[in-house]
Amino acid sequence: MSIEVSGVSKQFGAFTALQDISLTVPSGELVALLGPSGCGKTTLLRIIAGLESPDRGEILFNGENAHDDVRERQVGFVFQHYALFRHMTVFDNVAFGLTVRPRKERPSKGAIRERVHELLKLIQLEGIADRYPAQLSGGQRQRVALARALAVEPKVLLLDEPFGALDAKVRIELRRWLRRLHDEIHVTSVFVTHDQEEALEVADRIVVMNKGKVEQQGTPDEVYSRPASPFVYSFLGTVNMFHARPQAGQTASTEHHSVGYARPHEIDVSRQDPGNGAIAVTVSRVLPLGAIVRLELARVDTGGLMEAEIPREKHEELWFTTGEQVYVSPKNLVVFVEDYQI
Amino acid sequence: MQHNSSARSGNNTNTEPAPVRWLLVATAMLFLTLFLFVPLAAVFSEAFSKGWETYLAALREPDTWSAIKLTVLVAAISVPLNLVFGLVASWAIAKFAFPGKSLLLTLIDLPFSVSPVISGLIYVLLFGLQGWLGPWLQDHDLKIVFAAPGIILATIFVTFPFVARELIPLMESQGREEEEAALTLGASGLQTFFLVTLPNVKWGVLYGVILCNARAMGEFGAVSVVSGHIRGMTNTVPLQVEILYNEYNYAAAFAVASLLALLALVTLVVKSWVEFRMKRQEIQS
Repeated sequence: MSIEVSGVSKQFGAFTALQDISLTVPSGELVALLGPSGCGKTTLLRIIAGLESPDRGEILFNGENAHDDVRERQVGFVFQHYALFRHMTVFDNVAFGLTVRPRKERPSKGAIRERVHELLKLIQLEGIADRYPAQLSGGQRQRVALARALAVEPKVLLLDEPFGALDAKVRIELRRWLRRLHDEIHVTSVFVTHDQEEALEVADRIVVMNKGKVEQQGTPDEVYSRPASPFVYSFLGTVNMFHARPQAGQTASTEHHSVGYARPHEIDVSRQDPGNGAIAVTVSRVLPLGAIVRLELARVDTGGLMEAEIPREKHEELWFTTGEQVYVSPKNLVVFVEDYQI
Repeated sequence: MQHNSSARSGNNTNTEPAPVRWLLVATAMLFLTLFLFVPLAAVFSEAFSKGWETYLAALREPDTWSAIKLTVLVAAISVPLNLVFGLVASWAIAKFAFPGKSLLLTLIDLPFSVSPVISGLIYVLLFGLQGWLGPWLQDHDLKIVFAAPGIILATIFVTFPFVARELIPLMESQGREEEEAALTLGASGLQTFFLVTLPNVKWGVLYGVILCNARAMGEFGAVSVVSGHIRGMTNTVPLQVEILYNEYNYAAAFAVASLLALLALVTLVVKSWVEFRMKRQEIQS
């Protein structure tokens, strides 16, 4: 089931949450809506679910207009804070979507029990069917919420910051598990996140959003290595900015400054000035982080801070120390013309 | 939190010195004794001052017995109605946004801010013989004021906010996510209400109903205005107590009053139990 968002806008009072959003989620893919908080990604997800209605535009499932009523839309929605029914056991939570069906469509009690146990097995929580949500850990609750959403065999699965409320280690475990689960069941899924690492690791495609607009959509590799805007570049990882100096021969009418961007691992660090316009910096900190070593640097001319990451072998060879002066030059510079948006 | 739990060990700098604490506790206890325990004890000792026989006879007296029945009838009608109203209003207010929401909130609070006597007078002005609807009612032979319907109306008005006021903050704190989850899972609005919203607030509902009932049975001012004090017909228990007392029939007055005192005690016990359950549910979630 593919999802198509076409020309969707949403206004909350004077605040524009979404501005003419159009995007496509191909059938069977796992797509991340990535952006800072307040960029409208959760609103968009809720509109896709039918929990919120757009002021303009429409949502299409498989090319057809999605049902207005959230109940008829058949989406699985996983909430950031789980929203498990607190007075029901895990079993009753997962069974809920099946037991509320009209008598004619409702599976028999035995069939429901079988289906619930199948799902509990899928989320690896078979032994806890009789517990209440309050007796579960955050990670377990989130998996139960997922099983509950999957019980009704939704056409699409929507997850709102699914790992946002979990601690770092559980978060990483659970997102890998979600990726494996998706490879198994292949239901078209959209999840919202503000964590670029999560999006890069889990998603087939990433939609980067900012201020109610889509900045870029593409595969994780595309958005990471070929960012369409300075915003995408800086949101997807640490970045060093190089402001171009006005150069001889440039027309005086150039109103925009052009800015070059390079990631920390795309910076060459050397003791000798290579003579190609390299920038003199002082090493302010050396942070060995496993396979790489991060250098925090301060420009000699402006005092501006920079970050470089070099492989450990190179560091062991050159052994940079705090306080020494070195030269950096970007190996790969992406240039945007600055339009004063960030 | 930690400070409170370690207060007993005495090595906490955040608590007052022992003499101050004792003085405060003693003052509070003295007040409670003077204004609560002594009067309560007085009610029961007066009621039984002439023995069990007189006590039971006082309750069995026809006028008193009819007052008890009327009070139970009034509570049996007004409490369920206010329960339904409170549930509907708090659901609408806590879970939906609509124009006029703050006006509705203000209206719910109105009976708390109006003197009960005024509440009763409103109904006399509306339904009394000289009232707006009086002549019409008389033409159709309907009696509201100085009859049970008026008492019930006045009681409903006075006890109107109890359930709603209890549920609105509770429902607001629980948010809308569970209801939204139920909707995405295909539940209808009614299923969502009965399977998700209501079980989540059941202790709050019980709490509101208890308070509502206590007030419905104990209301004096509003009921006094609309009742007309017709013996054996339109007297509720509190009104009956007043009549007996004014007739210097102290033993009977206190015997009937002891029923209300008993109601208060039972209400208090049930209320603390419900509070305990609510706190436990809160900790669980």
